[in-house]
Amino acid sequence: MTASTGQERHRTILHVDMDAFFVSVELLDRPDLVGQPVVVGGSGRRGVIAAASYPARRYGVHSAMSTARARQLCPELVVLDGHHDRYVAVSQRLMALFGERTPLVEPISLDEAFLDVSGARRLLGDGEQIAHELRREVRSLLGLDCSVGVASTKFVAKLASQQAKPRPVTGGPAVGAGVLVVDDDDVLDFLHPLAVSALWGVGPATLSRLEGAGLVHVGDLARTPVEVLVSLLGESAGRHLHRLAHGIDDRSVVADREAKSVGHEQTYTYDLTSRDAMNRELLRLADAVAARLAPGGLAGATVTLKVRFGDFTTLTRSHTPPTPVASTRVLAEIARQLALSIDPTSGVRLLGVSVSGLVPAGGARQMSFDEVDVADPDGVGVQRTVDAIRQRWGPAAIGPAALLDPGGLQLRRRGDAPWGPADRDGSVGS
Amino acid sequence: MKFRCERDVLAEALTSASRGVNNRPSLPVLSGLLLDLHGGKLRVTGSDLDLTISVAIPVDTEREGVTVANAKLITDIVRSLDPGAVMFSVDDDEASVTAGRSAFSVRTIAATEFPNLPEPSGSSVAVDAQAFAAAARQVVSAASRDQDRPILGGVQMETEGEGLRLVATDSYRLAVRDLPGVVILDDSQSVLVPAEALRNLVQLINDEDELRLRIGERDLTFELGEARIMTRRIEGQFPNYRTLIPKDHPNKLTVERGPFVEAVKRVKSVVRDSATPIRLVMKADGLELSVTTQDYGAGFEQLDAKYEGTELAVAFNPQFLIDGAEAAGGEEITIETVDNLKPALLVSSESPDYRYVLMPVRFP
Repeated sequence: MTASTGQERHRTILHVDMDAFFVSVELLDRPDLVGQPVVVGGSGRRGVIAAASYPARRYGVHSAMSTARARQLCPELVVLDGHHDRYVAVSQRLMALFGERTPLVEPISLDEAFLDVSGARRLLGDGEQIAHELRREVRSLLGLDCSVGVASTKFVAKLASQQAKPRPVTGGPAVGAGVLVVDDDDVLDFLHPLAVSALWGVGPATLSRLEGAGLVHVGDLARTPVEVLVSLLGESAGRHLHRLAHGIDDRSVVADREAKSVGHEQTYTYDLTSRDAMNRELLRLADAVAARLAPGGLAGATVTLKVRFGDFTTLTRSHTPPTPVASTRVLAEIARQLALSIDPTSGVRLLGVSVSGLVPAGGARQMSFDEVDVADPDGVGVQRTVDAIRQRWGPAAIGPAALLDPGGLQLRRRGDAPWGPADRDGSVGS
Repeated sequence: MKFRCERDVLAEALTSASRGVNNRPSLPVLSGLLLDLHGGKLRVTGSDLDLTISVAIPVDTEREGVTVANAKLITDIVRSLDPGAVMFSVDDDEASVTAGRSAFSVRTIAATEFPNLPEPSGSSVAVDAQAFAAAARQVVSAASRDQDRPILGGVQMETEGEGLRLVATDSYRLAVRDLPGVVILDDSQSVLVPAEALRNLVQLINDEDELRLRIGERDLTFELGEARIMTRRIEGQFPNYRTLIPKDHPNKLTVERGPFVEAVKRVKSVVRDSATPIRLVMKADGLELSVTTQDYGAGFEQLDAKYEGTELAVAFNPQFLIDGAEAAGGEEITIETVDNLKPALLVSSESPDYRYVLMPVRFP
């Protein structure tokens, strides 16, 4: 409806791919082997290579090759046993790092994921900045290298990360660009020289048909009428490749939406006993949840309230409004509505607010009769301003007035006293 | 107890009463139906304490008695039998059901465990069953199904002019139906009826002429011949909806109802969630319907329509639009709009007593 709509639809997608992941993880324990031709895989007679270091790749060694063949190519090859549980553990830390940029993380495998950082651009900078920062952080926290492709579509981002990778050149260190950004204007220049086999969906059978027709590069595909591709490859594959060759890929980054949720809860030193106190705390929690949704540009479909009473009985109440929620105001409103049926007089020990079913915010929104004459019914305008101010001046620079006390603005943030309540929370219920 | 009954008659009674049984009953015994046989009649009752559905059928009585049997089990069994006579008898804590060459025995629960349900209270007034059912059918879909907003889960019954008015809203749409000439409430009286009770009532009404209402302090009872639905009234203040019904609309679209509903349903088929709206572009030369989803695709359709006003694009939840248009009835409907953010009014040319107000979906 406004000029910003096109902007909203334009995604910034990162494809992050770890460099020689299994080997690199093993080398964390064997620094003496860094720079050597090392593989992870079966060392036995029928062993197969699972991953190869770049020095090993220089000899032509690659994954899925038999270890015996690899040893022929590279007699000094060091073969290490794999430790899958360790890769899983490292992968979890990796995905958690991604998740701090944006909740829209779509893991492809242990060492590879798509990140949609469109919503984080305002807070964290453009795609290139986010990519460099992410690489630095992965390096310093995990001691591992990765390559990052940045583009507005998934498949170009993935191709870009492959181009950014270290190359197994003969002699000399194998250095890659680390980050490659393909701007929309450059997508066709980037794609067209690539071999058709680089595209998703081009397996050996498709490849031989395309090559049989003299279509070797992506540019050849782009110049071929879609009807010809369809008659060559069938309706679905023909149209698919035609679109890819023109840089078109509508697939969005899909986080595990069902399982994903963002929430905060707080245990109070002294039980809350009044509705006012409870409402104030719900606002505080809603603010914390909204602050975590903001960088990902996300909204939650379902709002869940959790209440634990002094006697440890716990209940949850959920509400799924017709439109996903992103703003502090609407979140707090729903949480308070859900809390209406709860009588706090017996003492509330813990409150929690969470949202699940995460989707990109700012989509179409069913209006309700309550907002026939409200100027900013979504609270979106307010929320954007709040996010921008916090980005610049810090989280405590602005917040709901109801959370102001003589000690300043009392906000809740992830990691605040996760082991239990600090004493100061006690003042709330009294 | 022991009786004989035609399968169809018994199955229908069990099915009707089972609708009063909650899938997650608050007491174990409430997963059962109370079967009470005396005076040649079998009364079958299902209840979750808030809503009670009770029907009675004549049966060939051999021995009177009362018992409780699991609602789902007994209903499924009787429905699965071959058509014809069914023998039903209870000895100790077991009921046996036989028909033709089939024989079942089912554990029963002592009837003494079944809670005492309140007797209907309030004086009885009669209304035309068919007219009331038609009106109820038109508004129930607009009531909220959200457990957490009990007041919006109700249908408000109140006096309007010289008649009865039924109103329901889930805060996104509002359905109002007047029944002129039906006077059953005092002028200032209003009753908030759980929509669930009306949905059940509508299903229970076949070709009966008369429906009797008994409005008690806390309960409301609908009596339809031998059948009875008793429901707890919802306490609380129904929202002030009157200001929401727009009075003045610059734009007026008139379209054939059947083709419109069909078109919305077709275009909606690319929608896989509850949040994607349908966009209506209203122009002098007709109506365009379109849906675009990021993940699945798009749908588009053009319809003939009469339009007075300035060209307007407005989006709605497609299901809400279908609910309103289906309920409106008649050959043609009119959609009156102010702009793309204000409530729209949907009415049928043939039933001016029905009005449906719908909030648009806002695009960012």
